[in-house]
Amino acid sequence: MSTFFKTTFACLFSIGLFSNAYAILPIEQLDSYKGAKAYLVQTKALPMVDIEVSIDAGDRYDPVGKSGLADMTAGLMNYGVKGNKGPLTEAQIADEIADLGANISLSVGGERAILRIRSLSRQDLRDRAVQLAAAMLSAPTYYPKIVEREKQRTITSLLEAETKPEFVLERRFKKSVYGNYPLANSPTVKSVAAVNTGDLKQFHQQFYRGDRMIVSIVGDVNRAQANEIVQALLKQIPQSGQPIAKLPELVRSPIEPLAQREIQIPFDSQQAHIAMGMTAVARSNPDYFPLLVGNYVLGGGGFVSRLMSEVREKRGLAYSVSSYFIPGKENGIFQAGLQTKNDQASLALEVMSSTIAQFIADGPTPSELAAAKANLVNGYPLRIDNNRKLLDNISSIAWNDLPLDTMEVWTKQVEAVTLEQVKAAFQKYLAMDRMKIVVLGAKNQ
Amino acid sequence: MLSNLLRISFLFLLLAQLSWAAGPESADTSEYQLSNGLKLIVREDHRAPTVAHMVWYRAGSMDEVNGKTGVAHVLEHMMFKGTHKVKAGEFSRLVAAVGGRENAFTSRDYTAYFQQVEKSKLEDVIRLEADRMSNLNFDDAEFLKEIQVVMEERRLRTEDNPRSLLNESLMATAYMSSPYRHPIIGWMNDLQNMKASDARDWYRSWYAPNNATVVITGDVDAKKVLGLVEKYYGVASAHELPVRKPQIEPPQKGVKQVQVKAPADTAQLTMAWKVPRLEPGKLDDPEPYALELLTAVLDGYDNARLNRVLVKQEKVVNDVGVGYDMVSRGPELFLIGTTMAKGKTVTQAQASIRKALEELKKNGILESELKRIKVRILSDQIYKRDSIFGQAMEIGSTEMAGFSWKDIDYMLQKMQTITPEQVQAVAKKYLVDEGLTIAVLDPQARTSPAKELK
Repeated sequence: MSTFFKTTFACLFSIGLFSNAYAILPIEQLDSYKGAKAYLVQTKALPMVDIEVSIDAGDRYDPVGKSGLADMTAGLMNYGVKGNKGPLTEAQIADEIADLGANISLSVGGERAILRIRSLSRQDLRDRAVQLAAAMLSAPTYYPKIVEREKQRTITSLLEAETKPEFVLERRFKKSVYGNYPLANSPTVKSVAAVNTGDLKQFHQQFYRGDRMIVSIVGDVNRAQANEIVQALLKQIPQSGQPIAKLPELVRSPIEPLAQREIQIPFDSQQAHIAMGMTAVARSNPDYFPLLVGNYVLGGGGFVSRLMSEVREKRGLAYSVSSYFIPGKENGIFQAGLQTKNDQASLALEVMSSTIAQFIADGPTPSELAAAKANLVNGYPLRIDNNRKLLDNISSIAWNDLPLDTMEVWTKQVEAVTLEQVKAAFQKYLAMDRMKIVVLGAKNQ
Repeated sequence: MLSNLLRISFLFLLLAQLSWAAGPESADTSEYQLSNGLKLIVREDHRAPTVAHMVWYRAGSMDEVNGKTGVAHVLEHMMFKGTHKVKAGEFSRLVAAVGGRENAFTSRDYTAYFQQVEKSKLEDVIRLEADRMSNLNFDDAEFLKEIQVVMEERRLRTEDNPRSLLNESLMATAYMSSPYRHPIIGWMNDLQNMKASDARDWYRSWYAPNNATVVITGDVDAKKVLGLVEKYYGVASAHELPVRKPQIEPPQKGVKQVQVKAPADTAQLTMAWKVPRLEPGKLDDPEPYALELLTAVLDGYDNARLNRVLVKQEKVVNDVGVGYDMVSRGPELFLIGTTMAKGKTVTQAQASIRKALEELKKNGILESELKRIKVRILSDQIYKRDSIFGQAMEIGSTEMAGFSWKDIDYMLQKMQTITPEQVQAVAKKYLVDEGLTIAVLDPQARTSPAKELK
């Protein structure tokens, strides 16, 4: 019955792992400007360019009681600017971006704010898109009327989000796992209401400066053009400013009795939502690769992970279940989760816990390790096969201070991972008696 | 502002040239038909050494019959549960071993399966996918577990999601006879009563090479791909497909309304009008293109009409979205969906939407507004080439709706010829009460205590 399977499997392995048979496009370091580092990958096939500015101005810098300030500082940058030819209203900015056939987006995560431009590479179009983005970055106006309107919209969205199980779970989980680190605090109606125009201007002045920015560019521009883009983007930006207070260290999740680590939130949804996790590692940690490969086996490998097999394939308990490391620049966390109908919550939590516990104790089997490496190595070309994905990669390399040959050596680093390294790394960083657990819903028993 | 219009017109010309200079897509694309009826479309794109492989079956939830809603999607799940040669779960393990990314999705119109791989692994995934076209073989125990998973999926995506509940009721209200009235995932009671044999019957009825289109995009040679596809898919036998009844929706004769009570903080309002879609063989009908452009005039960019007026000026809604897709197998709706701003009522939001539409019907739209949208369409033609998977998606979904991939460029050209008057005309003709369905989400407080337990 399984001859097809066995021969195919053997055959796949005899082909061997994917070897870097094709050139990986190099990352060029551009001239540093205003203290900002800048990088370029040239791709000429399509007449377009993607540009990203990362700003070290993420949610973790929200002042106490004003969670949401970092989000709003970036999110309101396209709602009015002082351009070099006079003020531009939000309507004028939006119309002009549309007329250029360009996209400019703003987003804020825990660590950084990100501005992205996608434009045709034709110089006149690209230049104007860059000028608009430069004005947003350097001279947002934060008109009080618009600030009030957007605060109200944010508050309305928050009130709605608070009725959703996934949002309530995530917010509570972050509070647990981040402890004294600022990312424990999420925006609330009260904290958003407390933000005023002065706060926005001050946060912008404090954080939006060259020495906190990185520019990444992918597309149809040469080195000289890319340097021009960087200079045009940051021309009006100050190079530096007053020192910013150092953030506290993220303290490792402590060993605690279950009753202290587990939180139950009664919620009248049909499904219980469960999250489990603890502090883990930064992206630059040398154990990153053993943890990446190991987690593929545990809960990162889509349909073929242990968690998927135990929770979904064998028992039909959930539609989605997964685990992942979220490695940041200075610290990171591990998180696993699932959703299941309320009367199965205890069973599902038990299956998830015992699967994770066993993996920490025993590590992967040799064939699991081989399968994980095969997937990650053979699949690597899929991580870098278009401009958007290349931009994601350069951006991560630049932000996390990784070596510029990271893409070239990535598959070698995966291949070098051993069983012992995976087991040792999981035991070093994860421990069941440190895991924070949040169960939202009606847990049975 | 005249200078504004001139500037856009100038950009517009540049863009038209740019997208023309990028070359017609037909040059890189080949189409073949195997003797068993299977259609193959290959688009060569040599920018990176990867390939997207998709198989599309022209069988979606609109082909289901009463009492068996959701079976198209359930079968999609069962397709991972083994064939005569590959045991349950092995399909995914084998795709993973070659570094592949895979998944599948079901819509009202079709069911599709895909893998993305490094190019030397294409044959491995073709072999696997072709095998499950003819040799699916799962046991009842696998079905019984998987139907539980599908019910969890419904709980996650629909039962605990007020917007989905609202949309489900909207569709069931707007349509009386069209099978579009049923949710793709199926009604919960139908899932509870579904049998393994229902899924097997579905498979036997619809999974045949003469009901399938294979789309392959990426770093391949079309002739070599044809050889592989003939080798593996060529062995599948064609069979007669079930008769598809037209089930044409009778004309609507007045406003319909539906209310849904669900846990939420903010009321939601969706207004949906019955509008025409593009019919295969009638590619010159201007109305569907005009409706697509109307969508973008209302909601295509940050300063588009509804966002500007309803969200920013009147502050009557918190968000607004407009939806219409001219390419589909079944009947189409033109949708405007909103969540209320704090302190505003559904009645106020509806009045504002109607006022904005009346203004458009009465005074038309500006040439500059329409040009802006057309520029966006031209630039998107270039951006979309950044993703080979996106291109495969576009080809497959167009084919499933009864068009040829060759029509895509023609449709885009046709879109560029539409005038402001034609956009105004479709708004006047179709955004009227005779064909309107209104769905309102009435938010209910959650009953759970706010306090957490340790």
